[in-house]
Order: sequence, then C-alpha cells, then structure tokens
Amino acid sequence: MMEIAWIIPLFPLFSFLVLLIFGRKWRRGQIDFAVILSLVSFICALLVLFARFTQENVKVEFIWLTIGETQLTAGFEVNQLNALMLVIVSLVSFLVHMYSKAYMEGDERITVFFSYLGLFTFAMLGLVLSPNLLQTYIFWELVGVGSFLLIGFYFYKEEAKVAAKKAFIMTRIGDVGLLIGMILLFWQVGSFEYDEIFAAISAGDLSETMATLTAILIFIGAVGKSGQFPLHSWLPDAMEGPTPVSALIHAATMVAAGVYLVAALYPLFAYSEVAMLTIAIVGGFTAIFAATIGMTQKDIKRALAYSTVSQLGYMMLALGVGGYVAGVFHLTTHAFFKALLFLAAGSVIHAVHTQDIEKMGGLWKKMKWTAPFFLIGTMAISGVPLLSGFFSKEEILVSAWVSGHYLLFTLAIVAAFFTAFYMFRLFFLVFGGEEKKEHSMVKESSNWMTVPMLVLALLAIVAGYIQTPWFGTFLGDWLTTGIAANVHGHLDGPLWVMIVATVVAFLGILLAWLMYSKKVISRDWFTSRAPYTYQLVVNKYYIDEVYQYIFVKGSRFVSQVLHFVEVYLIEGLISLVTITIRQLSMLGSKFQNGQTQLYGTVAFVGLAILIVVFALTGGGL
Amino acid sequence: MGFPFILSIIVFAPLLGLLLLTLVAKTKEKTIKTVAILSTLPSLFLSIYLIISSKMGVELVSYSGKLSWMQFGNPEVFGKLYSIDYELGVDGFSLTLLLLTALLSTLAAFASFQIKAGWKGYYMLFLLLEVGMLGVFAAENLVLFFIFFEVTLVATFFLIGKWGLYEKERTAFSLLIYNGIGSAILLVVIMVLFAKTGTANIEALMSILSADDGTVFSPKVKTGLLLALFIAFGIKLPIWPFHSWMVKVHSEAPAAIVMLHAGVLLKIGAYGLIHFGLGFFPNQFQSLTLWLGILGVINLLYGAFLALSQKELRKILAYSSISHMGIVLIGLAALNEAGIQGAMFQVVSHGLIAALFFYLIGIFYERYQSSSMDDLNGLAKTMPIASGFLLVAGLASLGLPGMSGFVAEFLAFLGLFQEWPVLAVIACLGIILTAVYILRAVLGITFGQQEKAKRVRDMTPLEIWPAIILLLCIVGIGVYPDIISSTLKSIIIGLGG
Repeated sequence: MMEIAWIIPLFPLFSFLVLLIFGRKWRRGQIDFAVILSLVSFICALLVLFARFTQENVKVEFIWLTIGETQLTAGFEVNQLNALMLVIVSLVSFLVHMYSKAYMEGDERITVFFSYLGLFTFAMLGLVLSPNLLQTYIFWELVGVGSFLLIGFYFYKEEAKVAAKKAFIMTRIGDVGLLIGMILLFWQVGSFEYDEIFAAISAGDLSETMATLTAILIFIGAVGKSGQFPLHSWLPDAMEGPTPVSALIHAATMVAAGVYLVAALYPLFAYSEVAMLTIAIVGGFTAIFAATIGMTQKDIKRALAYSTVSQLGYMMLALGVGGYVAGVFHLTTHAFFKALLFLAAGSVIHAVHTQDIEKMGGLWKKMKWTAPFFLIGTMAISGVPLLSGFFSKEEILVSAWVSGHYLLFTLAIVAAFFTAFYMFRLFFLVFGGEEKKEHSMVKESSNWMTVPMLVLALLAIVAGYIQTPWFGTFLGDWLTTGIAANVHGHLDGPLWVMIVATVVAFLGILLAWLMYSKKVISRDWFTSRAPYTYQLVVNKYYIDEVYQYIFVKGSRFVSQVLHFVEVYLIEGLISLVTITIRQLSMLGSKFQNGQTQLYGTVAFVGLAILIVVFALTGGGL
Repeated sequence: MGFPFILSIIVFAPLLGLLLLTLVAKTKEKTIKTVAILSTLPSLFLSIYLIISSKMGVELVSYSGKLSWMQFGNPEVFGKLYSIDYELGVDGFSLTLLLLTALLSTLAAFASFQIKAGWKGYYMLFLLLEVGMLGVFAAENLVLFFIFFEVTLVATFFLIGKWGLYEKERTAFSLLIYNGIGSAILLVVIMVLFAKTGTANIEALMSILSADDGTVFSPKVKTGLLLALFIAFGIKLPIWPFHSWMVKVHSEAPAAIVMLHAGVLLKIGAYGLIHFGLGFFPNQFQSLTLWLGILGVINLLYGAFLALSQKELRKILAYSSISHMGIVLIGLAALNEAGIQGAMFQVVSHGLIAALFFYLIGIFYERYQSSSMDDLNGLAKTMPIASGFLLVAGLASLGLPGMSGFVAEFLAFLGLFQEWPVLAVIACLGIILTAVYILRAVLGITFGQQEKAKRVRDMTPLEIWPAIILLLCIVGIGVYPDIISSTLKSIIIGLGG
C-alpha cells in the first residue's frame, strides 16, 4: 500500500479537474462524486498509516529537472510523520466535503467551491508527501493558492477580495524567506533532499552559522503560513471565506503546515540552538499575544481564528523547546477540536445568519447537536482533563518546564488560562442565557452537517489517548524511531505541572462563567478599569494599521517616486534623443540651400583637411 | 538522414501565404483570414516535427542548410576572401524559440480576427513579420540575422502605425527611432566582426573569438564590442532605461501584435545577448556580470514598482514585462548553469504568459473597448471563463509553482544566489512585489460588483482553444520542466566552455 501512496493526492486532483471542466452541468452528481473521492482518498491514507505501523519508510523519486550535472528529483516519501499527517488532512478534508454539501447548498457556484476544495486537498496532501524541500515549496505555494481562492470565494464582497489578497501576499513574504533559506541550504549541501540534508548535518558538513541562518530563514516561511507573529494578521481576515474552509484550511491543515515544516526539518533546527530559541520565543509570544486579542473579539469566527493563531504558537513553542512529539501531538489534537469548533460555529452561523456573538445567545436548547459538540470542542481546547487537548497541552508544558525555559513556561500557563476564559466566554455568549426572539425559528442543521461534527467530537475526546502518561506513550515512541535528531518519545515531568494546568483551566472557565453566565462580575470590569489597554487589545495592537502605514504606503510612495522618474527623467531622455536627431537633420539641411558658394567652401575645406591628414600621417593611410 | 532545406521551408512558408494574399480581393474577409491562418500552419507543424525528431535523437546539425550567396574581395591582396552565405541552422535554444514563434504566430493570427478593417494589408504584413521572426532564430550568420531583424522592425512599424490605437503613429515612430539606433549599433558590431575575421558565420565567429588571445581583437576592443551589443539588444529586451518605447507599444499596438511583440520580439534581445554577447565574448561577459546583475535587479524592481501604480492593464503588463526581463538578466549575471538555464526558461515562459495575457486583452477590448481596471471591474460576473483564464495567467506570471514562470524564476534565483547572494536577496523583493501588483490588477478586474452593468457574452468555445493551448504549454513546462530543459541543455554546454 505504501508504494502507491502517491495515489492519495490524485483523487482530489481528479475531483478538481472534473468539477472545473464540467462544473456547469450535472451539479448534484458532481458534488456526491467529490465527496466520494475525498472518502476514497481518506481510506487510502488510513491504509498507508496502518501499513507504516509494520513496514519501513518508502521513498520513490524520478528526475524532474536537470541543471548541468545536478539532477533535481520529484517523488514521494512515506514516514511516520507524514503518514500521520496524511490521515489528518484527508479525514478533515472528507468531513468538510460532507459538511459543505449541506452548508453550501443553494449557492450557484457550489461546484466551483468543491473544485477549489479538491485543489487545496491535492496540494496539501502533495505537500505532506514531498521527500525534498523543493517539492515541499512547490506544494507550499499551491496550498497558498487554494487558500487564496477559497478566502476570495465570495468575490463580490470587497472584504473577501482584500482578505484573499492579504493572505496571499503576507504568506508570500514568509515564502521568500523559505525560498532563500532553501537555496542557501542547497548550495551548502548540494541537494534539496531531506535525507541528504540530515546526512550532511550529522556528518558535520554544515557550519553552525549557516545552519542557524538557513533554519531561521526557513522558519520565516513557517511563520507566514502558520500565522505566527509578526505575519499573523492575515489569518483572522481569512475568515471572510466560507466557514467549512476556515475549518479545513485555516484551522486544521494549511496553517499547521508551518508546524509540520519545522517538524519535518527537525534535525536542521535541532542543530542550531539559536534557531530553536527563536522558534520557542516566537511561538510563546504568539501564543499569549493572540490569546489576549481572542478575549476581545465579537465575531465568533475571528475569535476562533485568534485562538488558532495562539494554539499554533503553542505548537511552535513545543518544537522550539525540544518537544518534537509534543508539537506534533498538539497539531493532531488541535486539528480535530479546532475543526470541530469551526464546523459547529458554521452550523450556528448557518442557523442564525450572523457572526456577531452579541446577537446570539440561548441557542443551547435550539441546537440539540451543535451545542454539545461546541461544548466538547471548547472543553478540549481549554484543557479540561481527560479530553484530547488536556494531554497534548500538558505534554507541551512539561517540555517547556524540563527544557528550563521558565519564562516561556509561565507564558504558556498564562495563555492556557486565557484560552479557557475566551473559549468559555464564547460558549456562554452563544449558547447560554436567554433565548432571543429573533431566533425562534432557528433549527438544527441537517445530518450532512451534524455527522461530520459527531466524528470530530469523538476524536476530540479520544485522540489524546495515543499519548498519555498513564496508558503509554504510543505516539511518541512510534514517531521518534529512526529520527536523526535527538528527540524524546516522552518526557517525564513533575506531577504538579499537570495539576497547575488543570487548575488554571478551571480558573479560566470559572471566570468566564461568573462574567458571562452568572454575571456576578460585570463584563466591563476590566474595560472600565484599563480603557487604554482594552482599546489597544481590541484593535489588535494596531498592527494592521502599522503595516498599512509602513508597507502599503511605503511601497506606494516608492512607486510614485519612480513614476516621477519615469515621466520626467526617462521620457526626457527620449525627447533628448529625438531633439538631437531633429537638430542634426536641420543642421544637415542647412547645407543644402542651393548656394553654390557654400558647396564650394565645403568642398574646399574638406580637401584642405584631407591634405593635412595625409601630410601628418606621412601618406601611410 | 539530413533535412537541409526544412528550415528554409519553415522560415519562408508564410511568404507563400503572403504571395497568395496578393491575389485575393481585399474585401473578401473570410478568404483572407483563412489563407492567413493556414499559411502559419506549415511552420508550426514542421517545427513541432523538428523538436520531436531531435528528441528522438536526430542531431540538430543535420537541419542546417547552406547555399553560397555572395563573395567579394581578392585573397591575393587582402589575404582572405570575404564571403557571406545563405545559411540556416538551429541549436536547442533557437529551435525552442522557433517553435514558440510559430505557435504564437498561429494564435496571434487567430486573435487578429478582431481587426476591423484593412485585413489584406494587415495579414500580409503579419506574415512578413512571421518570416522575419522565424528567420532571426534560424539565421546562422550575422548578415542574415540582421536582415531578418530589420524585416521584423519594418513589419511592426507599419502594423502599429496603421492598426494601432489612439497614439499609433507616435508609437510607431518611437519604436522606429529606438530600434533604429539599436540596429545601427548592431550593424557596426557586425561590420567590425566581419571586416576583421572575414566571416559572418556565427559558429565560425564563436570559435575564432574564443580561441583569440588578443591577435584578432584586443580585450579592450572586445569589451567595447560587447558593450555595443548590450546596448543594441538591451534596447530590444528592454534593459532599463531604454524601455519607454516598449511601454508605448504595449499600450498602443493591436492586442494580437502585442502577443508577438511581448511574446517573441522582445525575446530577440535576450536571444542576442545569450547567443552573441555570451557566445562571442565569454571572458568579457564574465567581467561584466555584476553590472548585468545590477541592471537586472533595477529592471525587476523598477518594473514592479511602476506596475503597482498603473490603472491600465496593458501598462501594468508592459511594466511587468520589464520586470520579468530582469529575471533574464539576473540569470545571465549568475553565468552558471542554473542561471543561464533560468534565463532561457524565462524567455520561453514569459513569451507564453505574455501571449496569454494579451490574447485575453484582445477579447476584453473587443467587448468593452477598454482594458482599464475601472472599466472591467467585476468581470467575474459577466465573463467567468475569461476571468478564470486571467486569474490563471496572473498566477503563472507571479511565479506560481506548477507553471512555467516558477521554474524560470527558481533557476535564475538559484544561480544568482551562488554568485551574487546580496543582489539575490534584494531581487527577492521582486517576488513579493510581483504578487502584489498582479493580484491588484487581476482582482481589481475580476472581483467586485460590476457597476457599469454591460451584458457581454463570455468567451465562445472557438475563442477558448487558443487560451487552452497556451495554458497547456505553461502548465506542461511547469509540471515537467525536463521537457524543454533537455533541449536547452545542449547549448549551455557549448556556452559554458
């Protein structure tokens, strides 16, 4: 099965092409067709994962491009990390396909939507299967396009256009870092292959400065894709896309690609302490920074988006402090519970036709399925014991503590408190409280939407048990066999870390309950005491405004200066040329005025000059 | 197995069409168009045949054809006989460009259906232009090259001057003056080379000049000649600051002619730089690479920044062409295998992408009589298929992997990073800027609510196929670049030596 793993991305590609070309006819059948293809792709991925439990890694390549003596190859590879990713991606993709069938019903461009989903899934699966950096980069850009197309799906909305453009350009800034890092690494190692890069590292062929430089450049790519500070601001705006897209791309898969990239190149990063520390600091800072913004957002999807940014920061932090398994583990559990939260949010939006949480409320009784699902997701992400998020978050905290980065550990604990608070704030505002009149007609969504949520909810509960301090560390042991870098399958941390994490989570929940459900504490308690801080946070620290001022205005300014150069300097140059030619021709025409005296003078002067020349050169001309 | 005259047939087949057209009455629109399209086909099919048979292992040399043309001079007095032969031949790079020319000519002939009047004159000049372009790439000696080069200039001058848009005459003259200066300089170089060596044959010149240790030309003269070539072909490419004529041509010429102008004619500049500049004076070229790299980065960024502030799609694409030709320059500046190959890929790739863009512009212009962003806003609603193609062309242009532009950019940057890493880092800014201006233009046109609600029909099935052919080529090269890199490789080995 592993030898034909390349077939997995081809199903969604086929779905993309068919829907694109024949999209206008035979609609309903085509959508079922797309859903079935995504299911087939998932089943194949599952088979590959099972095969990988018993067999060795597989790698197949062919020549893609020849540069002189160097041959660049393309192909695919199956190892533990990407076998796991294959399943996550294809599963979430399948569930989102299913969900979208109901969610997008009635949209006249539904086949376009499904074809874009196919393109994205193809690219994401291709990314995961890539055996070398160049191919990774190729699919890396393609997932960006898939994301771009889906964010801009509602093309008539100005916000969608702006958000799509912003997402593409901001991630491209990161991609340039990745490109430079990749090329520099190529000239050092002589190959884009992961294997050969790792071999060069363990042979000591790469200087530490160069490793640090390339690792940080590649990390910039991951920063862009995974919405880490300072390239995070595209991700909340990306919520302009349809909600299933937010679940698939901007929660579970593409944004995790940055984390995946760092994990896939882990030996390179682990080789450089500076690079590791950079990752840990960026991740830790992003985790708490985004969590603070998440507490103030009034749009359900944007609040979830900031939560995603914060959780991705967690994963980066884990990788940065040496918690390879912790990072990948949290990536896995987060994919399930965040996709669940987005799908549940989509179900709510679908029912009440607004994204403003202030206008929601009292939906617990109305949405008998969605509400408990959302609660499960909320509990999982908050780190309520025995749910998946609890185990993976604990793993990260232990890694941070054991590595000795106590400041980062503290940040992570505080961020965990914020997370529990803002997630339950969302839950109480949306589902708690009195039923609103305008929502009397609200109905639960159809089975096409609830079944995918059910699957994700189950996974959000149980996925944590693949790596627990109590029942064994299966995931960690499996992931770390044969990894070149020095990583641990599991770290034994002090028991109090788990207790602190649990207490902090419950404190956050308690505070949210007191503020938004019981209303014992006024909602304005904080805002009225620190209005300026609140303004700063609610405006997302004015980062968009700063970027607007520096980069957008800056490039416009340069553009105008150069426009000035073009109009006055370059055009002036042409005028100079044409004027010179015209003057010369006028001078020439003056000689042809019909006066024989002038002609005689010219002839005489010319002859005189020739004689002088002849005399001076001695006739040797 | 030899095909000595196959290249002559490829080059002069359109001439036959031209002669046929003289017999058709100028009011018979349908006949004229049919004859014109049909007479572009033999060159296309034969050049496809050449590519395929060269892939099957036929040596490219066997296509060369030679006829003795003129001889003068007295060997007893001057020590050598000056002879100019009629000789055609191709290497991997020129064969690829020959195919590109033939393909774009057929598609542009189709796109020219939108020409509203004067079909007979238009298509006669069009076919003449094709002969010139094909000849430029097939010419094996400099005199022949120059003659074909001038043929393209004359044909474009009249095509723009008569069938262009508002400022057609000014544009035509601007084209003539700039290219006239370029041609004059080129002619001087050719004459100097011919006078000193007695041959105008390109291959002979390459071997004489590379073996030359200062007896034929001193290194200073060589540098001077190379600089002259840089200016002559730099105007054509164009290299900043010689670009303003081509911005005018982009915005004033009929769309079908811009397809050929941006797709093939500008490429003659790159072809000349690589073939003659690098081929004749490799050592001098080496010492000038830093300057070439700096000019390349200027082209890249200057074009990108100016494209950012334009409203007119044609102008955006004109500056985009300048920017993309910067990639050719930085590839050449790297002067390693990756860089040169990147430059060649960029020549082919940009030819295809620019042609696709201007094919679409022709379609927009026919329906809206405009190609301004303001007038086309909201196109996705009225013309979803055309908008889709526009988006894809934009993505190809900004170097999306999976399409040809990426391979070219990647190789050029790969090369440049090895030789001039600092320049390369600055040039990387261009990658971001390209995304910014392309998305601004494409989204500005396709997204949004169309306010000037004008009902137009989308691309007809007949109009779609040229776009699909171009797209298939772009994606084909992008997905499996070895398709053409093996053809291009032969010349790099020759040049690298």
